[in-house]
Amino acid sequence: MRSHNSSTGEPAPRRPGMAPWVVASAIVAADAFLCVKTPQDLDRLLINVMLALSAFATLHARLLSLASAGFAAIGAYASAILAVKLGLPVGLSIPAAALACGVLAVVIGVPVLKLNDVYLAICTLGFGEIVRVAIILLPGLTGGSTGANLSTGFAYEAMRKTNSWELGLALAALCYLFWATSRAKAGRAIRAIRENPDAAATMGIDVVAYKNLAFTASAMIAGLAGAFYAHSVGSLDAGDFKFSRAVDILSYAVLGGSGAWFGPILGAGLLTALPIVLRDLLSFLKDFSQLPNILNGAALMLAIIFMPGGLAALFGRSPLGGPRAARRASSAGAVTKGAGGIEDAEPSGPGGAGGPILEVLGLSRSFGGVDALSDVSFAVGRGSVLGLIGPNGAGKTTLINTVSGIFPPTAGKIRWEGREIQGRRPNRIARSGVARSYQNIQLFGEMSVLENVVVGHHTRIEARLPEAWLRLPSERRAEREAREEAFSLLERLGLAALAGQEASRLSYGDQRRVEIARALALRPRLLLLDEPAAGMNEVETAALGDFILELKRRGYTILVVEHHMDLIMKICDEIVVLNFGKKIAQGKPEEVSRDPAVLEAYLGSE
Amino acid sequence: MDFSLFADPTFLAQNLVDGLSRGALYGVYAIGFTLIFGVLDILNLAHAATFMWCAFAGYLAMAGLGLPLPLGLAAAMVAGAAVALLLEFAAFRPLRREGADKLSAMISSIGASLILVSVAEAIFGTETRRFPSSALDPRPHLVGGLRISSAQILILVASVALMAGVGLFIRKSRMGKAIRAVAASQRAARLLGIDVNGVIVVTFLAAGALAGAAGILVALLTNNIVPGMGSQIELRGLAVVILGGMGNIEGAVIGGFVLGLVETFTIAYVPGGSDIKDAIAFLILFFILLVKPNGIMGRGVADRA
Repeated sequence: MRSHNSSTGEPAPRRPGMAPWVVASAIVAADAFLCVKTPQDLDRLLINVMLALSAFATLHARLLSLASAGFAAIGAYASAILAVKLGLPVGLSIPAAALACGVLAVVIGVPVLKLNDVYLAICTLGFGEIVRVAIILLPGLTGGSTGANLSTGFAYEAMRKTNSWELGLALAALCYLFWATSRAKAGRAIRAIRENPDAAATMGIDVVAYKNLAFTASAMIAGLAGAFYAHSVGSLDAGDFKFSRAVDILSYAVLGGSGAWFGPILGAGLLTALPIVLRDLLSFLKDFSQLPNILNGAALMLAIIFMPGGLAALFGRSPLGGPRAARRASSAGAVTKGAGGIEDAEPSGPGGAGGPILEVLGLSRSFGGVDALSDVSFAVGRGSVLGLIGPNGAGKTTLINTVSGIFPPTAGKIRWEGREIQGRRPNRIARSGVARSYQNIQLFGEMSVLENVVVGHHTRIEARLPEAWLRLPSERRAEREAREEAFSLLERLGLAALAGQEASRLSYGDQRRVEIARALALRPRLLLLDEPAAGMNEVETAALGDFILELKRRGYTILVVEHHMDLIMKICDEIVVLNFGKKIAQGKPEEVSRDPAVLEAYLGSE
Repeated sequence: MDFSLFADPTFLAQNLVDGLSRGALYGVYAIGFTLIFGVLDILNLAHAATFMWCAFAGYLAMAGLGLPLPLGLAAAMVAGAAVALLLEFAAFRPLRREGADKLSAMISSIGASLILVSVAEAIFGTETRRFPSSALDPRPHLVGGLRISSAQILILVASVALMAGVGLFIRKSRMGKAIRAVAASQRAARLLGIDVNGVIVVTFLAAGALAGAAGILVALLTNNIVPGMGSQIELRGLAVVILGGMGNIEGAVIGGFVLGLVETFTIAYVPGGSDIKDAIAFLILFFILLVKPNGIMGRGVADRA
């Protein structure tokens, strides 16, 4: 039973209470104490925070990159060389250095981000090392192993050019950008990728592009931090950015938490102040030079084992798309009511009325020698409901995965609205009007129900990131409309009361309906439903059947995989039966149910 | 490249010997590394720190306690097994219990590595330690015009023995079969009644012992023992396992010899080669990842070893 009744779904309260604020205040107090005592530590603190944000940018997108220290080194040396050797003002050399890091990250990211996470970690580890070696091998430019100091032509007066307030201003601007991004389409897309990259892709999100964005942003921020470091310290050493520095940066971000942008600020704040405070309090640590490293290493391990969400998680779930947003969307919806939640399917797309909208031609897919699908062909008429049935392991989900682009077919064609789409990436297929639900539920579990559905609007929100940064009215309107539309979809599916809930806490049947709502938010012309009634009781299943028929009336084409034969018989215009990857029957429901081959497949398998 | 040097067969043979002994070390180090990846599917980035601690253990046993070389080797291998066991219980098992992802395990091992290296620096300082000359005769043997050090002979003999031993262990022994089963699927292995955690412990012990052997052999070859010595081999180890295919034991052996020979020949035949030798591992790593991410021999303890 549901434990919530109010109209916007108050969540079972999980108030974080005072604890996080006490922790945050303690960190701020310790850092303030540190900076009052030794003012030059302020720059160090701000640079550490900036580097932590750089690591966060990648970790938040589930990329384990150890490249931040390397990019910081490039930023530091680039800005130093531009400022000292070419005489550029730091107001130009610092942004130029950050930009150079960004360009380099784009170039490196294209091949590297296609690899899986382990290889990314290895590559970025190697990258940091190669940067260090390159700095040492170019003594004419960088000062080599001697470092960039007076003896190598980098005079302190020419280097030491920035003040703490400039650094603070840059950091504040950065924090604003993180905040604004987290509230915009891009932030939501990255959270979706973080939770479930496959599902994000089938919502039309270009996963590779967003990973590149995160990697590039991380590199630019690291470069910025490095450049400020060069002009704050006034000299550089090739060892300033060695591997252990990359680990420090990672530990700030992991301790702070990779879920919310303010996490790394807390993490860097704590780990910068902690060794100094400990040394002041405990005299026997006075000369223990390895203390910061040991604390950083311990913070990494303890946080990842005992507190995977980091310090930021103490503050509870981010309020984006939570109960408050749901309430706002619901009250706005009450005014603009009338659409009833479901829009008619868009008639666009060539192919002409009446003809097939989707054709599967000789489709095969094998996994390591096992043929999950072999030579399957059928067509789905525009505006019809096609049922795909068959015993377990018949290849039904494989077919849906192939059509939605999760993996390419081994052979055969998929013609969608007259165009061949086999082998296209899932986000492109989603964008062209194909949406799906999953047999094993693939919601973004830590997001609210409402936000899950808003992710489905991804391809339709046109506002770009700079518009979100400037908080232009057009961008805010697009976001508000997406939320309101998402809410009315939820209303139509009887989920309005749950809009503000964390999706993973819903019942099985409710989660399936959220998946359908999320798929409908794409305004697809073809809906692929993989066992939508699994886990639903009879009443819910019957309601789902009515709902699918309503979608059909509104012009949607639907391909549904189901085991509930009552439902299939009620809603389908045509049925395709698969067994061991082969099509064994196709026809009207009543024909198929009498087909001896079908009866044998079902009875034989039981 | 200086081609006239190829005309000198003694020089060529000398470099072959140097390259093979260097490569043997990389191989021994990388087998332990790739074994853990093959079985657990996680990258143990604390393997280099384990290696460094073993070098110190061997050094302390031989220089401090005056033990003979075989016992020094044994001490290093025992120390490696102990450190690896510590890692399994402190850094990996708690995460496995919570079903955390591979990223978390990698992060945890990075933290463990930082702690291990920092503690070593706190205890041993940063100055270089060297074996007393009584530990191993530093004078090279002259064999048909080639200069071969005792350390090189020891390395070649010990490495080949260890590689063959690991190969036989994984292929033939009961535990080796269990390790392969766990590598293929932990769930299936559990259903077959295999004590998965026990197998993982054995895997860590073996990987740690191999890191230990590599640690003391490298220490004997370079006679240069510092807490930072792990970073020298870390990237090379990664390049070797990627070259040979992640989790592939024969691949690690072959990859080790390839890298050792390429490095040695670059130094010998390419002008300025010694400056870029540190970059070679990275270049190989990057190139393989771009061209053939599964390595030259494919991946997997389960299906190949």
